[in-house]
Amino acid sequence: MSQRDEEELQRTRETLQETMNFLGAVAAGLEDAVGESAKSITYLAGKNLGHRVCVGARRTNDVEEALVELRRVLKENGCLWTFDRFYSKASRSTSAQEGADEVLLVFRDCMIRQALFSYGHPQKGSLCNMMFGFFAGALETIMGRTSRLEIKHAGENACLKCLTIDR
Amino acid sequence: MEGMVDIQIHEAACRGCRMCLDICPTDVFAFDEGRGMATVQAAEDCIACLSCAYLCPSNAISHHQFHAVKNFYRDISFCRRMERFL
Ligand code: SF4
Ligand code: SF4
Repeated sequence: MSQRDEEELQRTRETLQETMNFLGAVAAGLEDAVGESAKSITYLAGKNLGHRVCVGARRTNDVEEALVELRRVLKENGCLWTFDRFYSKASRSTSAQEGADEVLLVFRDCMIRQALFSYGHPQKGSLCNMMFGFFAGALETIMGRTSRLEIKHAGENACLKCLTIDR
Repeated sequence: MEGMVDIQIHEAACRGCRMCLDICPTDVFAFDEGRGMATVQAAEDCIACLSCAYLCPSNAISHHQFHAVKNFYRDISFCRRMERFL
């Protein structure tokens, strides 16, 4: 990557992070004003965003390929939102529920967590719901399937989430 | 995925409260009943969330060789514009 590209990427990330900080404050205010429905509002906003950024993405029905494509789209948009598959010592594959695929994901660098911490907001609130919406919208566009992203653990340096994709 | 996280429990500091066992989402710890302290049983499953280290009342847990989340990015001019609304 040339120095100019790196500077451009840095600028994009700075702006995105600040936008996220701003959204964090808005989401916290929204929670106070409208309570639980704040989560539906941020979910729908995230879903809309997921649809839009994935319009030109490659379509696939394979979970692994869809996650690779989603990572590529995030990177292309300058988003520092890294996630990896998590395999425990005991399991090494995608587990199948009845009518759904289930994968565990570890989120490391996360604009949302950073935004929440910078203003002292708790995790698992409406801004995290925006990310569920983002994944739901993105995977609906890439795979044509509905999905849910559930937080199993929200940590200080990483979060563990379970992604369930309906068949 | 990066390599395995190196987790150490300071044996003399551990008071056997089991809080690390309760908080860990991936069951990295086990409890040694004989010695009355926590032990690391599956370091390869550690996702480096650091919750155990933050929670441990004795500050007995330390992690090495893990990915620390990137620092905040600050776009000062954007910040100034937005802070008017916050
Ligand atoms: S939380 Fe700390 S003191 Fe408590 S059992 Fe775990 S290592 Fe020991
Ligand atoms: S950092 Fe997180 S995953 Fe690793 S041992 Fe501690 S609580 Fe478990």
